[in-house]
Amino acid sequence: MSTPLIGVSKSILKIKELINHVANTCLNVLITGETGVGKEVVAQSLYCESARSSKNFVKINCAALPETLLESELYGYEKGAFTGAHKRRPGKFQTADKGVLFLDEIGDMPMALQSKMLHVLQSGEFSPLGSDQDFKTDVWVIAATNHNLEESIYQKTFREDLFYRLNIIKIDIPPLRERKEDIPSLIEYYFRLYKSEYPENKGTKPESDTLAKLCNYPWPGNVRQLQNCIKKQMVLNSWEKIFEELPKEHHEISPLSRADNNTLEQPIDYHEFSGNRTSIISEFVDLSTSSDKLFEDISLKKIKKLASDKVEKEVIAFVLEKVGWNRSRAAKILKISYKTLLYKMNEFKVHPPVK
Amino acid sequence: MAEPSRLLIVDDNEDILSTFYEFFNSMGYEVKTAIDGFAALKLLRDKSNFFDCLITDLVMPNISGVGLISIVKKEYSHLKIIAMTGYGDQPGALASEAKADVVLFKPIDLFKIESTVSELINQENNEQEK
Ligand SMILES: Nc1ncnc2c1ncn2[C@@H]1O[C@H](COP(=O)(O)OP(=O)(O)O)[C@@H](O)[C@H]1O
Repeated sequence: MSTPLIGVSKSILKIKELINHVANTCLNVLITGETGVGKEVVAQSLYCESARSSKNFVKINCAALPETLLESELYGYEKGAFTGAHKRRPGKFQTADKGVLFLDEIGDMPMALQSKMLHVLQSGEFSPLGSDQDFKTDVWVIAATNHNLEESIYQKTFREDLFYRLNIIKIDIPPLRERKEDIPSLIEYYFRLYKSEYPENKGTKPESDTLAKLCNYPWPGNVRQLQNCIKKQMVLNSWEKIFEELPKEHHEISPLSRADNNTLEQPIDYHEFSGNRTSIISEFVDLSTSSDKLFEDISLKKIKKLASDKVEKEVIAFVLEKVGWNRSRAAKILKISYKTLLYKMNEFKVHPPVK
Repeated sequence: MAEPSRLLIVDDNEDILSTFYEFFNSMGYEVKTAIDGFAALKLLRDKSNFFDCLITDLVMPNISGVGLISIVKKEYSHLKIIAMTGYGDQPGALASEAKADVVLFKPIDLFKIESTVSELINQENNEQEK
């Protein structure tokens, strides 16, 4: 039995609606999000709502297997294809025929297999290892990853053409800390589930104080971590102990807002500032010219642009350095789109250090 | 005069969307816009026979332009489709594979796209009259 997609947040509701609209299109889907956010749950929901639900849902984890094994798992092999291949074995593409092939952790697939995958998706045909026969495939490919593939393309660890081929439908699941509204319903759901599985368990549901604490914890392991806590509670029946065991180092405060707090601790000295006035202005206008020329040059609009560009450039470089040049994280922190960040990096000539 | 032609324009850049909207409106078209493929699909599902032509960007969140084109070709095959891309060749090639009628590369000249639209729609009307 598959898990229903629990949640009442705007993002989960939108995902449910999207699933409903695309479940019968058979178009390739790419599901992204941190580990434990529910990528597999979404893949299962797509499958359950589609006309393929009477056929197989076949999952393969592309990060868990070494390259050669992954290849033979995907495509199968003929007897004698390699030492140890004592008899013919069908691959996942075959088992998933007319059903769904769920490629988990696609971002970790080795480059050589990415090329092969691209070829299979393009041609709709594959051949098992050691076979010269091509088989037609009819699988619905749903892929998932916790990597930002645009970033991986830039780092040359993911093929751009494969990315575009998979990214026909894109479902991005936000981390649990960005949709706290889902926490109470998830708790409710899993409590009921575990109670029905083990009626003798004595764990009690959280009171409102505890619930508030649970909602405010940042859940770096997302729903999976929350689920584990509930499981523990069924046995331990002590929320206190559970909170003690939760990792503390992850706190919602990003490095940026911490820096903010520091500056606020020391009141700003305005006198020092006014002494600096001409030096600040001279960064943007040439003060050494005659007044006439100067007054012509000074335009608040122009200076505003120059000044904000200058600060923006520094802030962008600062954040990028903090996150190890992970541009998608930087874009999130800066609250601008990924596209905008790339554009600004280009405009301000902010480039990662050459390795 | 005949009824104005009806366009559905899809782009995740609101500036482009409003520029297109103003332009085609002023050229006498009836225009609806959508901010991504999913919003567009909902409009289409709502009024499947309403539109004559779809103009869509390709790289968008949730349902990409390529996805939208594939769905439209299957479910609303009368619709003419123009794909616009600014991301190198990949998405454009996929759009052709999905059978977009025309693929244009950004930046796009508005007058050029308008003449493409009117060609596509007239071609359809002529075929119907035959
Ligand atoms: N929205 C949800 N409703 C119910 N259970 C969920 C939801 N999201 C995640 N889970 C549960 O959390 C665990 C992790 O989900 P999974 O889909 O495996 O995450 P991912 O594939 O993103 O790592 C699973 O046990 C799953 O059943």
